[in-house]
Amino acid sequence: MSKLLAVLKREYVEVVRKKSFIIMTLIFPFLMAALMFVPTLLMMKGIESKRVVVVDGTGKLQDAFGTHAPDVPLRPASKVGREFAKQAEGAQAAKVAELTTEYVAASGDAKSAAQPYLDRLRENDDTRARLDGVLVIPSDAFTDASAKLVYYSRAASDLMTQERLATTVNHALARGRLAGRGIDAADADRLLKRLDLESVQLSKSGKEKKGGELSFLVGFIFAALLLFPTMIHGQEVMRGIVQEKTERVIEILISSMPSFDLLSGKVAGLALVGLTQVGAWLAMGGAMAVYSGGAAMVAGINVFQYVDLRVIPWFFVFFLLGYLTFVCIYAVGGAISNSDKEAQQFMGPIMMVAMVPWMLAFPILQNPESTLATVLSLIPVFTPITMFMRIIVSEPPMWQVGLSIALSVATIYVFFWMTAKIFRIGILSYGKRPSPAELWRWLKVA
Amino acid sequence: MSADAVLWVREVTKTFGQVRAVDRLSFAVARGTITGLLGRNGAGKTTTLRMINGIFLPDAGVIELLGAADAAAVRDRIGYLPEERGLYRKMRVLDQLLFLAEIKGQRPAIVRARAEAWLKRFDLWDKRAGKLEELSKGNQQKVQLIGALLHDPDLVILDEPMSGLDPINVVLVRTILKELKAEGRTILLSTHMMGEAEKLVDEIVLIHEGRAVLAGELEQVRASFGSNTVHLVFEGDGAFLAGLPGVAAARVDTNAAELRLAPGADAQAVLTAAVAKVRISRFEIAAPSLEEIFIDRVGAGALERRPAEVAV
Repeated sequence: MSKLLAVLKREYVEVVRKKSFIIMTLIFPFLMAALMFVPTLLMMKGIESKRVVVVDGTGKLQDAFGTHAPDVPLRPASKVGREFAKQAEGAQAAKVAELTTEYVAASGDAKSAAQPYLDRLRENDDTRARLDGVLVIPSDAFTDASAKLVYYSRAASDLMTQERLATTVNHALARGRLAGRGIDAADADRLLKRLDLESVQLSKSGKEKKGGELSFLVGFIFAALLLFPTMIHGQEVMRGIVQEKTERVIEILISSMPSFDLLSGKVAGLALVGLTQVGAWLAMGGAMAVYSGGAAMVAGINVFQYVDLRVIPWFFVFFLLGYLTFVCIYAVGGAISNSDKEAQQFMGPIMMVAMVPWMLAFPILQNPESTLATVLSLIPVFTPITMFMRIIVSEPPMWQVGLSIALSVATIYVFFWMTAKIFRIGILSYGKRPSPAELWRWLKVA
Repeated sequence: MSADAVLWVREVTKTFGQVRAVDRLSFAVARGTITGLLGRNGAGKTTTLRMINGIFLPDAGVIELLGAADAAAVRDRIGYLPEERGLYRKMRVLDQLLFLAEIKGQRPAIVRARAEAWLKRFDLWDKRAGKLEELSKGNQQKVQLIGALLHDPDLVILDEPMSGLDPINVVLVRTILKELKAEGRTILLSTHMMGEAEKLVDEIVLIHEGRAVLAGELEQVRASFGSNTVHLVFEGDGAFLAGLPGVAAARVDTNAAELRLAPGADAQAVLTAAVAKVRISRFEIAAPSLEEIFIDRVGAGALERRPAEVAV
């Protein structure tokens, strides 16, 4: 046991001391945050600075565009961004709404009235105020149902601005049409009022949880936390074993302790490394959440309706299960390889298997009780990520959770046992494959 | 062979694919001796030492050490220095030594003082906090040796212990090994450097193509080859020495020669003939050197082969 602990301690200290580990641990949360939020922020920033000329062929829509900004809430494209934006709205609303429009009434030929602006857009003259787009409203917009709004811009991909403009114009057109039927503007607005949709997750425990869309985000983040440390440190186990083989340290290790203790010490040490890392990430994430959550609370948003803290213990359970399963597989890869290069060949297939639940995250999160999700969550190598995602977005039956954990533990036990055997044989066969007879003898002895 | 043996190797065989690395090898190592496992490259020395350490299992035969039939039962009492470096490149020297002692069942707090003493003795104290890869090959070898000795083993198994060491360190290691012997420990070392073995070992086991071809106390082995060898040190061109009457076999180097005499030949006649052509500074009639015995038993074929044959 003391030998096992010596190996555990060595593995842990050697990894945790590495600069790459410290840097990875510190920057990963920021990297994740950047990946999630930067596009959203950029989108919001993009909208903020847009200048659009509206050439109105009907000449009747000045109210919609006048000096005040269009009354359209920000709608970033992604669900995640939308949810984030909703929260950010309080602080950002004023800025966000600043889509600057320049209204030009052009009764009659809107196209020719728009010509100077189109030229300006094309040339992008630096001496004058920059122009991002020109919206042309045809003169028959009120009468012809097949009339089309035309938006000219230098970047046709700016779907959000287009959507906002279209919504604003249509809202104004509807108001105009209703006014034609004798309904005044205030009534028209009341009639046209759109309601926002909010999703609420019901659970057997009777708890209501709002922000289903944010559950997606939380699901993804936790799946990443389950997946990446396993990948990184699993490969570390494999490379470490190959290194011990090529540097012949293995001779010293094997002649000093049972291979089972050696493997256990290694795996446990690396598991502790992984726990340290995700622990640090959760702590950092928690600190960020408390900080931004505090700010949100002040703004009147209850963050705890989005994240149920009771999933954290489950996270550690599934982290360990996933970790141990894959570390064993990686250890075998290392034991039967003679060089880093040979070991690399094992990484691809192992990674593919590990990535399956991640690639199916959308259907699983969207439909956590589907046959696909249920079956995947009961297959040991897929259990950790799949079952944990299900736990985040719904409440899977307890028997399924229990069964998945039992199956995983059994699998890890079998994997570990086999790994220890293969390990003992594999690590010493320097380029020579042991014969089946020799293998059998090792299985009996090791 | 002594009944008080700490290691018995009996009829041990190990095959890798088509290659029979060790072939029904038998020998014993007596307690409190330094035994040299001698042989050419590829003779099976390293494979034998690995089997003794339980790294490989023999295909057939039995290895008994320190009274146990299995290396696993007594592994904490064995110190092992592998042929190639067996250390973590990125690990600091002192940490590495403490780890090696720990996996031999020692408590780091207790061995720390001993590790420090060893590092000082090997002139590595300044390098204790450095990573192993920053050390020269000779210094790495010294760290490895400390690693084999730190847990105070009863049986020390060293695979080419002098490899990579400079002459000063060779003398130091030789002294240390003799001290260990004086403390009652048993040492089994392999080497292909006969001069070194001659200065160090009490007993030899000469193996060739996986089998023991000669074993016993060094002095007895040498005596068994008889006192019929003339050792000469001279100045001048000694090429003619091999052709002198009465010389059965000769090895002539730049300033020295070892001449094995034919039965009944007169050593004085050889001396007289030699004095006529070169200046003699040393003349001795003695048992053949270990190197001569080695070549006689296992190397004759290879040395006599002509370049053309060797090239094919």
